[in-house]
Parts: sequence; C-alpha cells; structure tokens
Amino acid sequence: MRASVAQALFDAAGTNPNLFVVSGDAGFGVLDEFQRRFPHQYVNLGVAEQHAIGFAAGMALAGRKVVVYNIAPFVLYRCYEQVRNDICYQDLPVVLIGTGSGVAYAPAGMTHYSIEDVAVARTLPGLVVLSPADPLETRACMAHALRCGRPTYVRIAKGKEPVLHAQAPESVAEPLVLSEGGGVAVLCHGSVAAEVVQAVRGMERPPRVLSVPMLQPLGGEALRARLEGVGTILTVEEHYEIGGLGSIVADWMAAHNLRFRLRKLGFPHAFIHAVRNSAGLREAAGLSVDRIRAAVAACMAEGGGR
Amino acid sequence: MKTRAPTLADEARRLEELARRARRKLIETACRSKTAHVGSCLSCVDMLVALYFGVLRIERESWDRRDIFVLSKGHAALALYAVLNVRGALDDATLAGYFLDGGSLPAHLDRATHPWIEASAGSLGHGLPMAAGLAYARKLAGSPARVFCLVGDGESEEGSVWECALFAPRLGLDNLTVLLDVNRLQGYGRPQELCAFEPVQDKWAAFGWDVRRLDGHNMAGLLEACRLPACGKPRVLVCDTVKGKGVSFMEDELKWHYYIVTEELRDRAFGELEDPHAG
Repeated sequence: MRASVAQALFDAAGTNPNLFVVSGDAGFGVLDEFQRRFPHQYVNLGVAEQHAIGFAAGMALAGRKVVVYNIAPFVLYRCYEQVRNDICYQDLPVVLIGTGSGVAYAPAGMTHYSIEDVAVARTLPGLVVLSPADPLETRACMAHALRCGRPTYVRIAKGKEPVLHAQAPESVAEPLVLSEGGGVAVLCHGSVAAEVVQAVRGMERPPRVLSVPMLQPLGGEALRARLEGVGTILTVEEHYEIGGLGSIVADWMAAHNLRFRLRKLGFPHAFIHAVRNSAGLREAAGLSVDRIRAAVAACMAEGGGR
Repeated sequence: MKTRAPTLADEARRLEELARRARRKLIETACRSKTAHVGSCLSCVDMLVALYFGVLRIERESWDRRDIFVLSKGHAALALYAVLNVRGALDDATLAGYFLDGGSLPAHLDRATHPWIEASAGSLGHGLPMAAGLAYARKLAGSPARVFCLVGDGESEEGSVWECALFAPRLGLDNLTVLLDVNRLQGYGRPQELCAFEPVQDKWAAFGWDVRRLDGHNMAGLLEACRLPACGKPRVLVCDTVKGKGVSFMEDELKWHYYIVTEELRDRAFGELEDPHAG
C-alpha cells in the first residue's frame, strides 16, 4: 500500500505543481524518490506533529493541496485538535495519510497501533475516511483523496499487501464486491480483507464479501443495493469492535430502520500488552483466516439469509 | 499653501486616536454582550491598530499578494472585530451581533463568519503554525506579501508555539513576524510565576529569530518595528503590554480576564477613553 501511495503522489506531483507533501519525519524508502524528483513540493517537518498539521492547514489556506504523511497515531491522535480546528473546522482539503493501520507494526507496542483511528476520525464532520483493502484500492483511494476537495484521512497498512481485486476499482465511494455469495454479507475494510477473502474461499455456502473503503461518508444507498438477499451482516475490521465499521453499520441501520442481524468482529476494547506479531494479535482477536471462517459459519448457522 | 509631509509622530497621534475609538467600540460591545476577556483584548488593541492602519497591505492587491494577519490568541477576537469595525471592514450591524444568541460573531474566531477573519482560532497555540504555513506557501509562490501573527504570553506555554519557533528559521520564513503580547497575566496567574517565561527574548533568539523588545503601547515604536525590512530570519516583536490597557481600573488586574463590563463601568471607561483633543 505504501508503494501505491508513493506512486500516486509521484504521478500527481508531476501534473500538479500545486501538490505539496509534508512528512512528519516518516517516509524512509517511500518518499525518497519523491523528494529527489520534487524537492520544491516536499518538506520534512520533523517530530512536531501539532505544528505539522497547523502548518499544513496554513499552506492549504494559501491554496496549496497538502498531503501529510506519517504513522497513523501521529496524524490523528497526537494532533487531534489541530485536525479538528485547523483542517476540518476550516474545511480545508488537506489529505492525511496514516500508515500502520490496525496492528500492522506489531510487536511495536500499543503506542504505534491504530485500532481506534476510524472511531476518532469519524467524530469529525466533513472528514472523508478511506481505508483501502489492497494496493488497487489504495490507488483509487489516493485518486479520490486528491480530487475530492475535502479534508481526507487515508488509512493504509504498510507494504506487500496482496492484490484482491481482479481490476482497479473505478470508484471507492461505494462498497466493492470481493467475492460473491449470499445469506451472510461480510463487510470489511483495510488489509484484513485479505484474511476474509482467504477465509471464505471454498466454503460450501459462501457469504458475499464486500470491501467498504469509504467509511465516511458511508455509501448507504449502494450498500443497501449490495445487500439484496442478505439477512446477516458480519463486519470484520482490524480496529476496536466499537467505533469502527461495525458501529457505522449499526448507526446506518438504526437511521434507516433496517432489519439485518449484525455481528461484529474486531479487537476487544482494551489496551494491548501482549507481545505478538500482527498475525498473532489478529488471531487472538478472532481476525485470523480460521476464526473468520468460523464466525461466518456461525452466522450462516444462525439463519444467515432467512 | 505648502503642507509638510506627515511625520511618524503625526501618524502615531492619528493612530492613537483610532485606538481609543477601537477601545470604546470594544468596551461598548463587551458591555452589550456581557462577555469576558476584556483585559486580554485591551492589551493588544494598539498592536492591531498599528497593523491594520499602518502596516498591512490589504486592499490594494489580490488576496495572493496581500499581507495576512492571524490572531493566534483567539480569545482576543473582540479586539480584532473592534479594530476591523473602525477600519470599515466590519459593519456596525455585524459587530452588534457579537456573542448574541442568533448573532453573527462568536467569542473565538471562526473563519466562516467574516471574510477578513483569515484563520479560525480559540484553542491556544494553533494560529502560529498556520501563519507559518501561510508564510511558507507565499514564499514558495514568490509572493512579496508578509504574514503577521499575534501570540499571547500565556499562549506561549503551548508546545506547538515552540515547535513552530524551532522550524520557522530553518524554513527561511523571513516574511513572518510574530507580535508577542506580553501582558504578564494569563487565566489564573502570571506567566513568570508559573513557568520560566523570562527572559523570553533570549529564548526566541536562541531558536534563530530576529528579536526586538519594545513597548507594545508605543504607536510610533510599533509602526517602526513592524515596518522593518526582512533580514533573512523570521522576526518576533516582544511587546511589553498592560492587560486592560487604557482603562485605569482594568489595568494589570487578573479579574479583567473574566469580569463583565456593567453599564456603570462602561460609562466610567468611556470617560477615560475620550479624545483629549475633542470638544
């Protein structure tokens, strides 16, 4: 995903001299080529996140299209109030790219995980929240972020995520079908989608798997259309099971009086002290291939479609 | 008849009267709206008048080329509104809606409320990084415009102010001037009693800024300092001021961070803010 981001920025900067990239002392091996090729469209504002976000807002006030690149906690948590007041309150089209979604950096420790970023980001009105599932969605999300003229948060994992789509999606504003099935719909976002795709492969009664790259605003109409013949929704996300996609779907159902059975798979709402790698932490939270498959089977057994 | 060109002293005298007018507007509006932060507003009126009447090139050029002012201590919004009103940029009806239910202007700055409000501010330590970003973008665009930013002394306890102080010199922001309003009183104490605030000019100098310390109520001095040519470094004007300046019973009084101007106190204040040359 990082390579997709780097490529998207590189391509955009070549055609748009107004584009400007702010790094928060991150980007080794990702932004190297960019800063060599576009030295006047790049600055490293160091380990000073509040300043970096305010500064980006100031450049945006002057009409520049600014992209801030950093590890997710350092574009959203450390500087939440700057994102709130300086970017979103002033409705500035700054793009925040947060890397290391979920527990991608495990076992780096809790300080470097972002399993509440969607919950935090969606508190901000007008902030577009994008969480691509694979490198192709990442390209499409970057295209959307650079084009939409809104404050945008793009949540990406790190490198070497598998490609899940047969072809690049045209739009990320709507849920995307990753595999067909029925009765149960698995809704996911982010790189854990690869686990979901693997989990449902070869199932006798496969569920429909949808990637939801745009978490805010939720493409509700399109989602509803893609839930035809579905009785149970299972959300799967590398995020706390509160505040993320599961909660977004619950809110959406409540707002529109929709009667799906809703099951949520995500991290329990607790700090992580276990020293495990990403796969280990996902496994413990029920986000491994086997446990996702078991959760889907349980949804089917509960009555799935009917 | 031959007229001599106005001197700096003439200009300062003219601006001092405008500052008195702005203070009257400020007191009147604070009284009507029953709002706090009157002392915080009064300490920076002279700086704002110097900027808006003697320094900022605002109207004669397009936005891209015009000077920008960012009020970082957003709780002094009323001072800015009053000065913009005297400047003719913000009409009486708009000012009359200050802090009223269903009104037009909040107690802290919202850029969406008026075209002359360049940046939203209220939570401290936000305006300066934004001003730096504006200055940097202007610099990259080759714009001759300057960016001014007013920061409070209490506000300077925010880490983000010092993050900016650390980066601005390295970024070559010699088009950025900070006016530091050292009124020596914050919300519940004095900066110097709460932290190692002084010698504040040495701190900024150590970070690589061009530093001047001056009387923040001396109009001629303010005009001169704000008009200094760029010197290759960002500049900070450490302005020694008095909280509540211009109204004797408010001066250097912590309570005027909070107190409401009653009609009786308003009339007393007006008595002290009359034009000495009038009548």
